[in-house]
Amino acid sequence: MPVATPALALIIFVAGVLSGVLGAVLGLGGGIFLVPFLNLVLKFPLTAAAAISLTTVIATSSSVSAGRAGKQLINMRLGMLLEVATAAGSVLGGLTALVLRQSVLQRTFGVVAAAVAVIMLTRLQRRNVILDPDADPGVLGGRYYEQESQAMVSYRVRRLPLAITASFLAGNISSLLGIGGGIIKVPVLNAWCGVPLRAAAATSAFMIGVTATAGAMIYYGHGQLVPSLAAAAVLGVQLGSWGGMRIAQHAPASWLKLMMAAVLTIVSIMMFMRGS
Amino acid sequence: MLRGGVTLSSACFAVGVVLALAGSGPLADRLLQVGIVVLLATPVARVVVSVVEYAQQRDWTFTVLTLIVFVELMAGVLVALR
Repeated sequence: MPVATPALALIIFVAGVLSGVLGAVLGLGGGIFLVPFLNLVLKFPLTAAAAISLTTVIATSSSVSAGRAGKQLINMRLGMLLEVATAAGSVLGGLTALVLRQSVLQRTFGVVAAAVAVIMLTRLQRRNVILDPDADPGVLGGRYYEQESQAMVSYRVRRLPLAITASFLAGNISSLLGIGGGIIKVPVLNAWCGVPLRAAAATSAFMIGVTATAGAMIYYGHGQLVPSLAAAAVLGVQLGSWGGMRIAQHAPASWLKLMMAAVLTIVSIMMFMRGS
Repeated sequence: MLRGGVTLSSACFAVGVVLALAGSGPLADRLLQVGIVVLLATPVARVVVSVVEYAQQRDWTFTVLTLIVFVELMAGVLVALR
């Protein structure tokens, strides 16, 4: 287990800032960058790295969900329903992470990072929006005000079993690897389940906080979380996301995605090699 | 809810203040622990609020679903304390 020193806290703070910026600009949680940094560069055990990263996910999720813009987009009913599956996956994932060998966790991370890179590059975007505001969204669908069309729009949710399964897996992976899991949920909800991208992203942002809590609690209870370092990471990520939000408006998305896919590929290879 | 954001801020603040304070000593450790616990409790609180809201709306299906999520989180607490 890493020993907390002021120098280490500072390094982690800076790492948090960078993760926060990247996360905000690219629309991901910072976990996918923070965990490899803590594990490969600072030599933290993966469980300790995951523990710290999960606390940053909770922080980011809570602040994003509290924001005004997100509130009308978050589909609470859908989120809570899926959370039943995600939380279950998360508790199981946390338990599993404590008994798996580090090399297995690292290889899993490598595979997931590669999958994320692929998803980023081939992101199928579906609009999924029904322009008639009187259309019935059903129990799980939603209605919100869309900027582009300057009107209230609605959407219906399809293939719920798929969404539930994906949520369970996302919860598992979230706890195992210390990431938010949104990167799995958002594409599934958007590409196959009929949810517009913004609503999917907002709902996912809310959900990952709850999911990460289950994992973080398990790690914390088993002594994997170093409070001062987690604090440094959380503060860093908060600052980074705030800054990242500002940059995000001016950054050309496609170029960044390519860069990020490249970084993730490198991360994936390194984690895979380290775990072999 | 805004509540979530505010609670989160107090967690970070408690945590931050302590870090500023030299960074060692029993009080510092205690505050950091509190900060972590508050942070972990924030989403749980949000779930509880949802349970109450759905119950008030008499939406029993979702009251139950949200309650299940709460139970799962409590299972997490149990696992953590084992």
